[in-house]
Amino acid sequence: MNGSLPKRIWKWFEHTRVGRSIFRVGLPQSNLERAQAMVSSFLLHVQPAKVNRHSLRASYSLGLGLISLYLFLILIVTGVLLMFYYVPSTDHAYNDMKDLQFVVSAGLLMRNMHRWAAHLMVIFVLLHMCRVFYTGAYKRPREFNWVLGIGLFLLTLGLSFTGYLLPWDQLAFWAITVGTNIAAYAPYIGPSLKYLMLGGNVVGQEALIRFYALHVIVLPAVAGFLIAVHLWRVRKDGGLSRPDEPGDVVQQVELSQLPTSKTYGLMELARGTTPQVGRNPEEEVFSWPHLIFRELLLFLFVVVVVLLLAIFKNAPLEELANPIHPPNPAKAPWYFLGLQELVSYSAFWGGVVVPGVLVAALVLLPYVDGKRRGVGRWFARERLVANTIFTVCLVVAVVLTIIGTLFRGPNWSWQEPWKKPPTATEGH
Amino acid sequence: MADSSLRKFYGWFTALGLLVGGLVVLGYYKDEDREWKDYQRKFIQEETRRASTPPQRAFAQNMPVQIRQILLPDLNRVDRCTTCHLAVDDPSYGGYPQPLAYHPLHEQHPAERFGCTVCHRGQGRATDAADAHGNVPHWDEPMLPLRYIQASCGKCHEAADNPAAPELARGQQVFEESGCRGCHKLGGTGGVIGPALDKIGARHSPEWLKQHFLTPATVTPGSAMPPQRFAEPDLEAITLFMLSQTGETAPGYYTSMKVIPSAGVGQRLFEQKGCIGCHSIAGKGGTIGPSLDDVGLRRSPEWMIQHFREPKAVSPGTVMPQFGFTEDEARALTDFLVHLREQQVTMSLPSAMTPVERGHEAYRKYGCAGCHGPDGKGGVPNPNSKTAELVPDLMHVAEGYTKDELKDRILKGQHEITALDPKRPPPPLYMPGWAGTIKDAEVDDLVEYLFSLKPKGEESGF
Repeated sequence: MNGSLPKRIWKWFEHTRVGRSIFRVGLPQSNLERAQAMVSSFLLHVQPAKVNRHSLRASYSLGLGLISLYLFLILIVTGVLLMFYYVPSTDHAYNDMKDLQFVVSAGLLMRNMHRWAAHLMVIFVLLHMCRVFYTGAYKRPREFNWVLGIGLFLLTLGLSFTGYLLPWDQLAFWAITVGTNIAAYAPYIGPSLKYLMLGGNVVGQEALIRFYALHVIVLPAVAGFLIAVHLWRVRKDGGLSRPDEPGDVVQQVELSQLPTSKTYGLMELARGTTPQVGRNPEEEVFSWPHLIFRELLLFLFVVVVVLLLAIFKNAPLEELANPIHPPNPAKAPWYFLGLQELVSYSAFWGGVVVPGVLVAALVLLPYVDGKRRGVGRWFARERLVANTIFTVCLVVAVVLTIIGTLFRGPNWSWQEPWKKPPTATEGH
Repeated sequence: MADSSLRKFYGWFTALGLLVGGLVVLGYYKDEDREWKDYQRKFIQEETRRASTPPQRAFAQNMPVQIRQILLPDLNRVDRCTTCHLAVDDPSYGGYPQPLAYHPLHEQHPAERFGCTVCHRGQGRATDAADAHGNVPHWDEPMLPLRYIQASCGKCHEAADNPAAPELARGQQVFEESGCRGCHKLGGTGGVIGPALDKIGARHSPEWLKQHFLTPATVTPGSAMPPQRFAEPDLEAITLFMLSQTGETAPGYYTSMKVIPSAGVGQRLFEQKGCIGCHSIAGKGGTIGPSLDDVGLRRSPEWMIQHFREPKAVSPGTVMPQFGFTEDEARALTDFLVHLREQQVTMSLPSAMTPVERGHEAYRKYGCAGCHGPDGKGGVPNPNSKTAELVPDLMHVAEGYTKDELKDRILKGQHEITALDPKRPPPPLYMPGWAGTIKDAEVDDLVEYLFSLKPKGEESGF
């Protein structure tokens, strides 16, 4: 027996009957046990026993998808804690925010973590999408996983947007008022859509309870399910996308061409780029510890960042929502300010056509741009045209968002953030 | 492959693990480190020092360090002020520095029913000084400076009724006499040129209000309001009165506490109940009951209260009905009658006044003086109006109008004021129509009053 004291205690525990019954394998010592550790654990079996070295390269994936997942987990944990205190009523919601800050132990810390993790999640899901685009990773056979990803991106926005209303302060009330007004610009269904979201024509108790139910159960449940499918497909498609290698010809088995008079083993039905035993063995390493340790380290890193933000920067909370005193300008949540900026030019084009076309284009992208060229490399030369179009759209969206966030003052007039806004007509 | 390539992981795990642990500790420490705990420990020390017997000392030392709060569900408030201000109810802490000072509580305002913020404002839910005192961003109700604390009395009580708030009563008087109602509505009565003032005290600080009185346009660009020339005490008083107008309504229990039995309430009751129909004051009124001019000399206050409660019990055979006054109302009426001789109140009983007197009262009530000057003497600037850039005085209306024309003018108003120079902005002040606001009888009285303004000795016509 060697190693530190905790390690020795652990070793002793995992060999007891109780330890065996819980962990089955224990800390793996051999390659066999490394494979077993992955396969026999519920939490780990989502991932393969062996993983391609390419999938571990931080410079390829940047860990963006994992970071998004970790933020989602942090949001669930902190969100459930907040639910113990929060009452979705216009009489209580704002006071509950104050109580979280002033009398609930670590209440403000939880709220801060939830708020900042939510903003980070919007950013990281978007970055993840950019990474997948620039590496061509949405191409065959991952087309539909890209579509699921777009769905998850929209769900992330929906989760953030529904959560935005819950503090019931001026910021929340007017951001949701503006946001739902943008939705009302859609032709035919717009006004009904707004009415459906708000349960009325203005933001009030009905809207609060709808947003709450969506925020704490409907959207998280759907997102959780889609995340599971998203990850499962990553595994079924053979880990992260990577460049095709010589001799790496994928054999596609078309079920319809197989004689049905025979009983098939599982391996015979496996399709696509699932890692196959014996193929490029020198490129495969055991997931335990090479993948699992990296994932855990990244998780710790994300927790550190969220904690740092939460400790040193408080989540905003303005005055109690007041339907008769709109701030000027009233702004949607920041991730919709690009849209709001567009709407300020033209409600129909900015609020309906541009976002509609963008989402449709993103969904259709893998089916339009289907040739398997330049997959698995950043900014592949073969994909210059696609990358350029995507970059232009992205830059325009970012610039519009920055303008809407920082450069718009009263009445949506141009306002440099470093200049003092003109004095309001009514103030203290 | 195993251990050597894993070594770098262990380093990272150790570093990040320690960092997470450290941050959790830091976050928890920051959360636990609250200034109110220091105040409570100091209070416990002080209580322990003062304890003279061992049980007292043990009691002081075992005092829990915890949030203290007054729950006021009817007022939608939770006041945690006593978490730091621990000795507000202990007179032996009189003269101590804050936060341990004693607060001389009025027995009519028990802390468990009223809390603190309903009078002092601030943020009752907060548990640190800056947030609780409310001078922080995104909190609309900072603490009311003690200098203006009487404003809070006016949130529930009639300003004039409250002997404990003389400056508030003075403020109301300045408000009514300065003709503010000519342009502003308050409690439903007043003009429409300026905004209603019912919630003005909830939205603005004393500094803002004072600045606004002196030079309205500097804080509200484009304001049509003429600058007011108040003497400093009047400026403070009317500012205080404005601060009392918060638009809050007191629920159930608090409404029942609103009436302060005072001569002012008594006088209003006297007018409302029509006492003057049977009794007379200064020769005006009915003759069925005795004159009340010297009733304060003839009867004791106790007798009067008993008399209001049950007239026949103290005055057998009287025809005075039993009005069913509450105890407070009976006391208020008694107060009014006892002080009748000193107060010269007879003049303001409408039924005892001449039409011209009532008209003068209407002139005051609707704030005509705000634009037309006290007693119709004019002098209020209305930039760029053709009438010498002033709102016209009313001394000579009897010469230009018939009574019906004048009445019509008051009811319909004049919205277009001819400009002196068409290129400059139009005159900000105009005559609003008072139809729907003013009672018909009041217009007739007002016309009588305005006609009476014509200087004596001047003949009409030229």
